Amino acid sequence: MTGGDGAPLETAAGTAESLSPREARQILEEALAMSAAEHTEVLLESRNASLTRFANNQIHQNVAARDHELVLRAIVGRRAGQASTNRLDSTALRQVADRALALARLSPEDPELPEPGAPAEAPSLDAFDPATAASAPEERAAAVAPLCGDSAARGLDASGAYEVRAVSLAYANSLGRFAHHSGTYAHFTCTVRTESSSGWVDRHRRDLRELDIERLGRIGIEKAERSRDPQGIEPGRYTVVLEPSAVAELVGFLVYLGLGAQAEQEGRSFLSGRMGQRITGERTVLADDPFHPGAMGTPFDHEGTPRRRVVLIENGIARAVVHDRRTARKAGVESTGHASPPPATEGPLPYSLVLGGGDSSVEEMIASTNRGILVTRFWYCRVVDPKQTLITGMTRDGTFLIEGGHVSRGLRNLRFNESVLDVLTRADAYGRVAEPTVFDFGHYAVVTPALRVPEFRFTGVSPF
Amino acid sequence: MDDLLDRALNAAQLAGASYADVRVVEARSQIIEVKNRKVATLQEPSSAGVGIRVLIDGAWGFAASADLELEEVERCARLACRVARASARVRREPIRLSRLEPYRARWETPLARDPFSVSLADKIALLVEATGVMEREPKVRVAQGGLHFWEERKRFASTEGARIEQRIVHSGAGISAWAAGETDLQVRSYPNSFGGQYESAGYELVERLDLAGHAAETAATAAALLEAPLCPAGTTTVILDGSQVSLQVHESCGHPAELDRALGHEANFAGTSFLTPDQLGTLRYGSQVVNLVADATSARGLGTFGFDDEGVPAQKVDLVREGRFVGYLTSRETAPLVGLESNGTMRAEAWSHIPLIRMTNINLEPGAWKLEDLIADTDEGIYMETNRSWSIDDRRYNFQFGTEVGREIKRGKRGRLLRNCTYTGITPEFWNRCDGVCDASDWEIWGTPTWGKGQPSQVMRTAQGAAAARFRDVQVGVGYGT
Repeated sequence: MTGGDGAPLETAAGTAESLSPREARQILEEALAMSAAEHTEVLLESRNASLTRFANNQIHQNVAARDHELVLRAIVGRRAGQASTNRLDSTALRQVADRALALARLSPEDPELPEPGAPAEAPSLDAFDPATAASAPEERAAAVAPLCGDSAARGLDASGAYEVRAVSLAYANSLGRFAHHSGTYAHFTCTVRTESSSGWVDRHRRDLRELDIERLGRIGIEKAERSRDPQGIEPGRYTVVLEPSAVAELVGFLVYLGLGAQAEQEGRSFLSGRMGQRITGERTVLADDPFHPGAMGTPFDHEGTPRRRVVLIENGIARAVVHDRRTARKAGVESTGHASPPPATEGPLPYSLVLGGGDSSVEEMIASTNRGILVTRFWYCRVVDPKQTLITGMTRDGTFLIEGGHVSRGLRNLRFNESVLDVLTRADAYGRVAEPTVFDFGHYAVVTPALRVPEFRFTGVSPF
Repeated sequence: MDDLLDRALNAAQLAGASYADVRVVEARSQIIEVKNRKVATLQEPSSAGVGIRVLIDGAWGFAASADLELEEVERCARLACRVARASARVRREPIRLSRLEPYRARWETPLARDPFSVSLADKIALLVEATGVMEREPKVRVAQGGLHFWEERKRFASTEGARIEQRIVHSGAGISAWAAGETDLQVRSYPNSFGGQYESAGYELVERLDLAGHAAETAATAAALLEAPLCPAGTTTVILDGSQVSLQVHESCGHPAELDRALGHEANFAGTSFLTPDQLGTLRYGSQVVNLVADATSARGLGTFGFDDEGVPAQKVDLVREGRFVGYLTSRETAPLVGLESNGTMRAEAWSHIPLIRMTNINLEPGAWKLEDLIADTDEGIYMETNRSWSIDDRRYNFQFGTEVGREIKRGKRGRLLRNCTYTGITPEFWNRCDGVCDASDWEIWGTPTWGKGQPSQVMRTAQGAAAARFRDVQVGVGYGT
């Protein structure tokens, strides 16, 4: 394990874990020593990742990979250059330092370039689970075998993935700032298919022991069997009960549509010019909280700045955007610790979004709905109008009609066009259980409850 | 390097592999992005490593490492075998690979001008100039431009005796202008969205595009869109420009023609396909004018290579011929399951990932129309240009796309500019309403660098060749409304 300062152990899979603080500091200090720039920043991410994938009730892909990325940023006056490598030997560190410096010297002056941050203590975040880091392929195979067997016996097809990662992130700069963090991540997802329908379940945790794969598999099977022979329904406005994954698909779009300061400063954000104004219903509380247990956060950002919890929407009022050092300098505030990983073209972003919950269960939301639609998940959502937060997408893997307070039958998949802010304005019931969903290859998490939303706008239907 | 490849294959065989292949990849890239005349990104990433894929007891295992020391490569081979044995505990049918002649060959992307040899100062100056021109338009809040270059050196070897070396170079360039109003945000890109145009080519692509020469018009259109009327809602004739047709091809033909999707291998993530094997050779996918090929030999395409990542040579195959669905993109594992042989479409994002079936260059073959004649032949409709939004269901039936720009067509002439254009449909119905494809003078092989698939997710650069095409009775203006 790497929670302490010791040498890494060999995991059961035979791969070394992510780098310990001592190893990381040694590599970063060597890289800093190689650099002849005025200021230097070095970021090192080390990752061991394994994934067991199954389809048609058998394991069809099964992988393990070990990689690093060292990004070195050289600053000369108001000029910066950046180069990266995945080799950590002295020759490679020298090459990357020289190349970054050469790029900095060729780069035009940037008057808004911030200097690296002074030493700062990042809060600790207990995010590393040794058992998860030590996950072996035999254990993952044993975990998915009962689901595959059960599905085959019922004449169903189970597909999915069981994924584990151990990651370490370290930052150092020539002003003496150093930060290190280790974390683990476990993810199980499965889709069970009948000849006419499908059911899906998806869970993300730090500790793989919190993934009850047998129980999760039963949810997938139950949803698939319950939605057999789905019927079409006319497009139109319906009350929807959105399970947490469906809510996360919608709310997650706000990350890129303008909760970061760069988009707000450029006038591209849905929040531009609306700070302090009401933008959703008053029950909406949306924060970036890297310390929330489900939010898969890190205690510092990619500039080594300690992260802060930032309330973005408070009781429906637009309150804040998140900052890195560049946008903070421009706004005359302090960085909130939200610098993005290189190349950071979108600027600072909230990576641990948490939507506040309420006091309802999904069952209660269904029971209080006379006619509506239960949505397991949305799929292939894309932006139609960024300022209006208008999104289109499809339902997938478990869409049901609610009649008289009960789920009555499966529905064919529907296309929607909806504004995320309007959804948060109209939501009239918030779930009490929040689930994390991890997006974008693990870069950010959205923790959301279920929601009930009247008048949700469906515009089309699929033939299945 | 031969020693490393041999040691990897030998270690895999000693550990019980009945088949193994090894890929050693060295990759580097250069990313330059300029925003409002200031350099926003200047980065040169590089990566090297080895990926080893093995078959044991008819099941796959894969392991990869950034460390190219011989001992680590051997450890990696043994780990791949251990992973394969774990896979074999949960399998129904043993994997059989389609027959393949083991090639010993070298291949390189043909380049007129190596992009890594061009001075950085020249590249930055070009983007500063182009964004400076766009910034002169007062309503443009963000003027941005980018250049991307990738180089990949791959060595592939297999226990069947293959030894293949390839150097693949891709280049990309483009500009975009963002105009912001109180409640609206409009973007205009040149020559395409997704950051521009990308090709298997060198710096000659950048020179040909003349970004600065197109900057003023790009900015003016972005500003004009703020004042343009909203795309009307209803059913009408739509003519899509070549770049939007290429996206339509990618999403509604390329993906569903991937055999792994059709066989359920992507059911949990990317999805399945309405092009099921029982429909091969019979389904009327589109009208008679619709001819689609997968061609890994196309000049300048991002899906152009000598050999795929299983060592299968690049090929050109029919997917849709005169409207009928006749072919799949296949791999050595999937092809035998439907009685075929691999047509060479397996690519991995990097050494650290397994190869998957990926689109090569999916080309809609040119038709007979000149674009101006096609517009003149259209009494009423909308001409839509350049993708802005794209969404499609997990079997690739129900789609909704949006474009940056729309132009009314009235009595055969282009009319008013329209903003926020969207259209929707069901794939086979839509392609069966295609009654005109433009000819080679309008045809371009459009490359896009960001397509995702697989778990762990892999990003791939693919291309789709297309010319403008006309579709009848299309539902438009669906994004808004009551």
